[in-house]
Amino acid sequence: MSHWGAFHNGPPAAARTAGRIFVGTCGYAYPDWRESGFYPPDIRAGAMLSFYARTFPITELNTTWYQMPREEVMERLLAQAPTGFLFTVKLHRSLSHEAEPSRTSSQTAAFRRGLTPLLQSRRLAAVLLQFPECFDRSPAHRRRLTSLLELLSGLPLAVEFRHDSWAADKVFAEMEKRQVALVLPDAPGLSGLFPPLRVATHRKFLYVRFHGRNREQWNRGGFQRLDYDYTEAELQEWIERQLVPMADGTRQAFLFFNNHVRGQAARNAATLARLIGDYGLELGKLA
Amino acid sequence: MPPPWRALSGITDLSWASWHERTIVHLNVADFAVAVERVIDSRLKTRPVVVAVPGQNRSAVYDMSEEAYQSGVRKGMAVQRALRLCSQAVVVAPRFDRYERAMNAFLRHAQPYSPLIEAEEVNGHLFLDLSGTGRLFGPPPDIAWRIRRETRQDLGFDPIWTLAPNKLVAKVASRIVKPTGEYIVQDGEQEEFLKPLPIGLLPGLEAEDLLLLKDFHISLTGQLSPWTPDQWRVVFGRRGDCLHRLIRGEDPTPVQPAGQKEEKIQADFPFGDDTNDWQQVESTLFRLAEKIGYELRCRQRVARRLTLTVDYSDGIRTQRQKTDPSGTANDFKLFAWAGTILKLAWSRRTRIRCLKLCGDRLAFPSAQRSLFAETEQENRRRDSLMSAIDRIRQRFGKDMLQVGIGRCRAPAA
Repeated sequence: MSHWGAFHNGPPAAARTAGRIFVGTCGYAYPDWRESGFYPPDIRAGAMLSFYARTFPITELNTTWYQMPREEVMERLLAQAPTGFLFTVKLHRSLSHEAEPSRTSSQTAAFRRGLTPLLQSRRLAAVLLQFPECFDRSPAHRRRLTSLLELLSGLPLAVEFRHDSWAADKVFAEMEKRQVALVLPDAPGLSGLFPPLRVATHRKFLYVRFHGRNREQWNRGGFQRLDYDYTEAELQEWIERQLVPMADGTRQAFLFFNNHVRGQAARNAATLARLIGDYGLELGKLA
Repeated sequence: MPPPWRALSGITDLSWASWHERTIVHLNVADFAVAVERVIDSRLKTRPVVVAVPGQNRSAVYDMSEEAYQSGVRKGMAVQRALRLCSQAVVVAPRFDRYERAMNAFLRHAQPYSPLIEAEEVNGHLFLDLSGTGRLFGPPPDIAWRIRRETRQDLGFDPIWTLAPNKLVAKVASRIVKPTGEYIVQDGEQEEFLKPLPIGLLPGLEAEDLLLLKDFHISLTGQLSPWTPDQWRVVFGRRGDCLHRLIRGEDPTPVQPAGQKEEKIQADFPFGDDTNDWQQVESTLFRLAEKIGYELRCRQRVARRLTLTVDYSDGIRTQRQKTDPSGTANDFKLFAWAGTILKLAWSRRTRIRCLKLCGDRLAFPSAQRSLFAETEQENRRRDSLMSAIDRIRQRFGKDMLQVGIGRCRAPAA
């Protein structure tokens, strides 16, 4: 049996991590987070993860979108993070955004190989397959998605669609059948964008990404679209409207803030974690 | 536990400019000459390729494809030997003008993103300093991806890209991912990144250094981490300090601005038959010094650093250099200077295949006169002798007047 087969298509039961709802940020090594005060001004990028882990028990690794995961890199990350700290890993862009069908098989194998240290240490919470806005529900894209899901089967997968054509019951039913989590985005309610839904397709975990609600900048692209600061009232409303109805006591939830500009993601994540704690929900933290 | 921030009003006491973290991207088209040949002739994509002058017994390998490399072929190796190791290889004649055009096109793809781009030679290597460009162009890995994508689309190459806090670490990372891929090393991770790697991957360690370290049973960089600078000096003398910094992944050298390559003058001589005859080598060295001296005088410059490269017949290369702050363009002084470097560089009994002498750190001749009258007189005498020789050669041809030592031939076998 392969070493990832043992996880039965779900995230690891993180033995040293208590609670069920894990809040973190999409990426953690942003230079401007020094400026914004989250990191000390003289911290080096290589020391940021251990500092980040003082506040959050989980992070979404976005470097794996740029760089194919490699075992030695994952081992270095594990050495920097405290015991029980969890990772979700974003799929490499050569498989999601700039796919070359002829290389999909070899690239997927390289991706899986690179995750070995996270799998062996049971610190991989999920693998995020994020597709661009141009990735609509065309037959070609459906075939590509099916092929990817098969090549990555056995891993705890979460799929984020940006195009609203994927918001269909048939899609959710198929995802449930395959036990693949649908990523629930919090983004500006623009036409064409995947809408905020209350759908859980995986028995064991929910995956939420907060992109901010910057309507004006969203279509301009670049990181300015992520320049948004959630108010406490908005986060409180989100907990009541989305989280409480879906937190049925059996699933873990991985909540990530992507609005990284000026450290807003870290600030909003900390606020959300506090509000969840105040609400009496089981907040995940390092034991 | 409260979150660890100090001030979140948007105005803090840290100015962005005060942070000096460097972001260096290294782009590398592996086996550049082969990559160019394969773009020109797609039939070569499915076969091992060796770039060398075909049909000459003494011809050396200029570049080879990954498949040929895996079969044991190396740069500088005789073609006959390369073909014995990789019999299926196609030998292609080098076309330097095309490599230069391809290199310029590659450089043009990187130019929009930084004024600091270094491309020293026509070998498919580019260093970009992207420090502080994030707010203009987005995250540096995005820029690297963009350049790679555009290069693939427009030129047909698939460059490796690596990102690191300095050139040294970026280059080592490229060697790991070769022939294709990408690698990111964050600031502060340099030493940890290098520790598990074989010492042979570090640029700057020469064959003799590796042999010496083998005596200490050292094969991985991490085994050298506990060495103190004093211990390095005991083994490697004055180079010890440099090597100590090297294994810690420290490299402060800047990326040279594009189009402002450091001026240098070089001359080389490939021996028809490999030699270890001192007279023949010395005579060759004088002729190389003459060539460089003449070129320097034409440009009205002096060289303040000389580098001598010795290529041995077994493919091993030794390089040594010396600097002289006052510099010279006088053939005799250059020869004496190069002679001292030769004694350092020629450390093996193996025959020499090629000698290369390079003068750089060029400067205008100093107007400062010597403090001592005798030295001043001697300098003037040598300079006027050089001027006279140059005038005669310009008028009657450069072979009309020759210096004895430069005409020495190898004794008959």
